[in-house]
Amino acid sequence: MRLGMVIDLDRCIGCRSCAVACKSHNAQPPGTWWNRVFTPGSTFHQAAVGKAGALQMNFLPVSCQMCDNPPCQKVCPTGATYTDERGVVLIDYERCIGCRYCFAACPYGVRQFNWEDPKKAKERVGYKEGYEYGYPVDFRDKEGRLVFTPDRPAGVAEKCTFCVQYTANGEEPACTRGCPGKVRIFGDLDDPNSEVSKLIGKRPSYRLKEELGTSPKVFYLAPTKPIR
Amino acid sequence: MKRSNILMGLAIVLILISLGAWGYQLHKGLIVTNMRNSFSWGLYIATFAFFVGVAAGGLIVSSSVYLFNIEKLKPFTRIASLSAFASILGAGAMIFPDMGRVERVWKIFVHPNFTSPLVWDVIVITAYLIITFLSVYVQLLPDWRKEGRGFFNNWTKKRSQEEIEVLSKKWSKRVALIGLPVAILIHTVTALIFATQGSRGWWNTAVMPPDFVSVAVASGTALVMVISLLTVGKEKFYQYEEAFQTMALIVAGALVVHFFFVTVDLLVHGWWGKPEANEILSLVFGRYGLLYATELLLPAFTMIFFFTKRGKGSFKTLMIGSILLFIGVFVHRMMLMFPAFNAIPLTLAIPGAGIESWAYPIALGQFSEGMPVFVNTWDYAPTLVEYAVALLPFGLVLFVVTAALRMYDFLPQKRVGKHLASKIEQAKAPKGIDFT
Repeated sequence: MRLGMVIDLDRCIGCRSCAVACKSHNAQPPGTWWNRVFTPGSTFHQAAVGKAGALQMNFLPVSCQMCDNPPCQKVCPTGATYTDERGVVLIDYERCIGCRYCFAACPYGVRQFNWEDPKKAKERVGYKEGYEYGYPVDFRDKEGRLVFTPDRPAGVAEKCTFCVQYTANGEEPACTRGCPGKVRIFGDLDDPNSEVSKLIGKRPSYRLKEELGTSPKVFYLAPTKPIR
Repeated sequence: MKRSNILMGLAIVLILISLGAWGYQLHKGLIVTNMRNSFSWGLYIATFAFFVGVAAGGLIVSSSVYLFNIEKLKPFTRIASLSAFASILGAGAMIFPDMGRVERVWKIFVHPNFTSPLVWDVIVITAYLIITFLSVYVQLLPDWRKEGRGFFNNWTKKRSQEEIEVLSKKWSKRVALIGLPVAILIHTVTALIFATQGSRGWWNTAVMPPDFVSVAVASGTALVMVISLLTVGKEKFYQYEEAFQTMALIVAGALVVHFFFVTVDLLVHGWWGKPEANEILSLVFGRYGLLYATELLLPAFTMIFFFTKRGKGSFKTLMIGSILLFIGVFVHRMMLMFPAFNAIPLTLAIPGAGIESWAYPIALGQFSEGMPVFVNTWDYAPTLVEYAVALLPFGLVLFVVTAALRMYDFLPQKRVGKHLASKIEQAKAPKGIDFT
């Protein structure tokens, strides 16, 4: 099994619901975003770019690309970053030593560091007392590695896990469920009959920074938006 | 007050300031630094790379004696080994405050991932630490035997002084020869930490490892020279003039090689003219142009200066040249970070809008009122806490070198036959700095 995702850019409206769903389900502290949506070419989100009156506005959601050749995993000195049996790149929050080599290695800027105790960061922004968000309990993989915990320890790296706490039980990731436009399709790339495999075969797709040879398992269906 | 007491005091103050700042950082988290998600390595890693570089000198100097028969340098092999040991100790120490969870560092040894250049760097740096320690140890053994002090040397008591002298000579040579490839490896592997990263154009070049070696030969030899100059003192400079000139020539020669690498590196980065490379070069020559000029001009000055008769001819000029070189090399290490992290790897071309490169914003990892969370550039400048923590290797090197120099004789006088009595007499002769 190789879990992957197809993101249909033709359907994306740039609403950032996926980023918000991701953020709240995974209890990310203020300033930390596992999932981002921007308007390529534009300084501001939702602002068109172009020249000579020919304007365009597309949106590009980016989270962990779940590379088959993940540089973050190769540089990790302790093996805290690893690929599980379903092809998902995960971080063991109990093994990460916080060296941040993976930040230098990742071409996609998806890795996020706990520069301070996330509880302190949450406290400081002044949420209502007792307010806590996100999946409330720890999740460990089959070998007992801590791959989700609502408040990550200070000084470790974190990133998108394809919502391991849900997808390990056959559910879909929060971004996929939270998308109002059904932009994201999640499934097994090894299964030729899965929707992801079919879409990649049928429609022109690309992966980010293909030239770096990281072989991401997140595929983008190019926005076609015929103008003529 | 004796000069060595002042230096020891200074070293202890530096170490204490650093440990205090590190304690504060452990309490608050790395948020007290100015590093953020998009700019994740800074002063600490640059300082680490600087000290790895200056650690080269020891084995360069001692192996030149054995490999190329440069007898002139022989009086300084002890200082050279000491400088290497102290520097690599400082480099190693600098890594710890950079870690988010330093108490888990043992996990590297329990679960090493051998595809990570970092693991190999731990291995070669540990090896170098042991080898340089042994190098100092075997060279001091005869003195210790004679004076009845030192440590780990009970076994020498059963042997005669002559035996120990012969043993010391033999093993000094062996350690130097084993150490030379390891000395080259610490720079190669440290450079490979950066050079292997295909996502960072500024680092991803095969010229970086050899360039690290050339910079290390220059700055490492310069450090040995500075410590030697201070030990010998102005008055006795002329006694060792030839040795200092040889060291100055090694520094200048290594810098020629360095500038050759810099030139081909810049040409290969720039010639093709792809947007990613243009972006890096505009950072190097534009936004960080002043730093880059410092990195180029100071060592260039030292290189030319040390080729001239005047430059390598006196205590003062050698000190000035070396200090300018250290500043230049330190800036060079900082410049590893600025262009690498401010050229966002996920930069895309938007052909339909006529845009060749657009950097995808990265979340900083910190939210504070009035500050953007998503950035495509970060004006990294170390915080006061970072500067304080980064004093650690400076304090350690100063401490180890000063303490060793005042405890033991690191500058054996030129030998007059094999008469122990006369040697002891000469060892007692006054030196430039009173390290006793």
